[in-house]
Amino acid sequence: MHIDRLERYWIIAVGVVFGAFAAAIVASVVVFGVHLPSPVGRIDPAKLAESEFAKPGLTQDSEHAYTLRMVAKMWRFDIGSKEPQPTIKLPAGSRLKIVATSLDVTHGIYVERHDVNVMLLPGQISQVEVLFSKPGIYHIICHEYCGPGHQAMIATIEVS
Amino acid sequence: MQQTKPYISTPELTFPKVGFLSAEQWIVGSHVLTGLVALLIGIFLGPFQVFRRAPALKWEIPVFSYYYQALTVHGVLNALFFTTFFIVGFSYFILMRSLKREMWSTKLVWIAYALMLIGLLLVLYALITNQANVLYTFYPSLIAHPAFYLGLVLLVVGTWIVTANLFLTYNLWRKENPQEHLPLAVFATLTNFVLWCVASLGVAIEVLFMLLPLSLGLITHTDPQAGRALFWFFGHPLVYFWLLPAYTSWYTMLPKQANSKIFSDPLARVSFILLMIFSIPVGVHHMFTDPGVSAVMKGIQTVFTFIVAVPSLLTAFNVGAMLERAGRNRGAKTPFDWMWKQDWKNPVIAAQISAMLLFITGGVTGIMNASLTLNIALHNTSWIPAHFHQTLGGAVTLTFMGICYWLIPMIRGRGLYSVKMALWQVHTWSIGMMIFGYTYGAAGLIGVPRRTDLGAAPYINPEAVPYLNMSIISGVLLLISAILFFINMAGTMLLSKKQLTEEAPIDTYVESKSPLWMEKWGLWLSIVGILCVIAWAPVFLEVVDFTHGFQIPGYSPNGGLYKP
Ligand code: HEM
Ligand SMILES: [Cu+2]
Ligand SMILES: [Cu+2]
Repeated sequence: MHIDRLERYWIIAVGVVFGAFAAAIVASVVVFGVHLPSPVGRIDPAKLAESEFAKPGLTQDSEHAYTLRMVAKMWRFDIGSKEPQPTIKLPAGSRLKIVATSLDVTHGIYVERHDVNVMLLPGQISQVEVLFSKPGIYHIICHEYCGPGHQAMIATIEVS
Repeated sequence: MQQTKPYISTPELTFPKVGFLSAEQWIVGSHVLTGLVALLIGIFLGPFQVFRRAPALKWEIPVFSYYYQALTVHGVLNALFFTTFFIVGFSYFILMRSLKREMWSTKLVWIAYALMLIGLLLVLYALITNQANVLYTFYPSLIAHPAFYLGLVLLVVGTWIVTANLFLTYNLWRKENPQEHLPLAVFATLTNFVLWCVASLGVAIEVLFMLLPLSLGLITHTDPQAGRALFWFFGHPLVYFWLLPAYTSWYTMLPKQANSKIFSDPLARVSFILLMIFSIPVGVHHMFTDPGVSAVMKGIQTVFTFIVAVPSLLTAFNVGAMLERAGRNRGAKTPFDWMWKQDWKNPVIAAQISAMLLFITGGVTGIMNASLTLNIALHNTSWIPAHFHQTLGGAVTLTFMGICYWLIPMIRGRGLYSVKMALWQVHTWSIGMMIFGYTYGAAGLIGVPRRTDLGAAPYINPEAVPYLNMSIISGVLLLISAILFFINMAGTMLLSKKQLTEEAPIDTYVESKSPLWMEKWGLWLSIVGILCVIAWAPVFLEVVDFTHGFQIPGYSPNGGLYKP
């Protein structure tokens, strides 16, 4: 099969560019420590009351480390308070571990300005860690359609 | 050698130089026009979604005033029904014209059409009666009315029958003409339907064994993570099923329309083979943020995703070189002026070149989405609709519109109603989609979610507000463009008195020594199968809970548990 000279150069260039992209991804993981959500376990949503999600909310693990247990449900983030759009407060420099699942349908969380983007599925536990280095107000937004109340499914993180 | 053919079952057809045989007219016409009706319903909701999401307007969507109902209609009718009907009609046209024969069975053509049409009606019923607001990805554990799933099943079964008919037609032709050169357009169409059939197994299993039985009340539980894996096994190749007919037009029809020649026929075939093989083991790139899939599988499918981008870049070169030749024929002299020296006054050409330009941003943003860690910044933000309105809404739909500008006149046997209107349509569409891409992309980077009724949301990031308001311009342009398109189509069907002058831009077969190994469909299928096992078997082993089975009950998209 004949391949034109210029086309051959093009194919090589494409190969090189994709090699570079792949290297950049590897670097983002190895050098910059970006982590993708990975499996941490399953959970039966009918048995949340007998699990670590029995009492959702914020707990402090050490001076700068916190854990937020959260149950997404139609149509709010349950972190232990009754408010429809709850708020949690953290000091700047806190490392927050979010452990979350869904009670009913597919939801998701996106935290403004931070590398948090994960699906919440009933039956699966999602876990991500994030550092809040700057003071500010950051919203947790449900980013997967979950029914008529989806657009109001928001929580707030106040970092002071 | 004409006399010694042993297998003759359908007579060779002699097509008119200009215009259609009535067999073509009915078969191609009914599919393409049904597709356009689906598009007509779906497309007009798009601009109103933009208006609803813009803080300056927050208009309620007319007709389907409930936002998520409108969005489901928009996604399902545009992305699933318009595309499929159009592609099936276009593919029949390619096979019949290129191989100069009727389809293997005309009866099967109509059986498949009837199934797909009933499918469309069932889905429309469920959507209009507000019982299927599950969006076009219908993730469990949201459960829709059974008519919705039944309609999808009929659509897919219809396309399987179409595939059988296409391959049987090709087989008969191959037996009668063992040495002849298979036209590239036919080759591309066959690869596309191989890809489609393999891909649709995923969604067929999801609908038949998880969603439909739950919707009917035969089972009570489901598994969202397994459902998503089955859907995306199908969902990524689905985007190639839309794209390959556009490539087919760029490779095999645009050269004739632009008075040029294809640059490399063998490399085009290699591209189609690569697209067929590598579009399947990549769907996990839609699940990078899923909790149930391991990072290793996400990494492996990222690599395959980069590989499947290669044939598209080969296509860019191949088609670019063809266009350069067209520009040189029209007097281009300097390295780059061939781009402007195209026949921009011909809407068929203008649409396709504009589609390619949109595909540049579509492709680049796609590679960004596929980049594993970068995806965390982009997933489920409005960046994603920005991306796929450059690819599906831009490259694919605008190419299909360009095809309509010659195909609908042939179906009707009259000239295009208005060339000028068509040119305005093309330019408003491409500028509209660019602005849509820019504004929605920028808003997405700031964190505006997709699939969200922002008009009713208690919070929108203030930084994103200017972009969302700017997107109104794109909504207006695209609304105008859509209106111009449908006026022109209706005008061509009903009002045009112009003479048809254009010929069908189709190669018929000629004797040659083109490599027959490319038609080893069994070999390609085995490679696809092996890659599927490597890329997908570990994913399914991870996501299916073998000890507990399904544990999640179904929920109604309008709230509460689902009741059959
Ligand atoms: C008139 C031009 C169009 C405009 C202004 C438009 C606008 C939009 C907008 C704003 C969204 C996102 C809504 C949201 O995420 O909440 C959307 C989603 C979508 N559009 Fe379009 N669109 C247009 C044409 C098309 C065409 C031609 C197609 C396909 C052939 C298409 C396919 C889709 C799909 C598949 C979705 C995703 C739906 C979902 O997230 O469930 N659109 N469109
Ligand atoms: Cu939601
Ligand atoms: Cu994909």
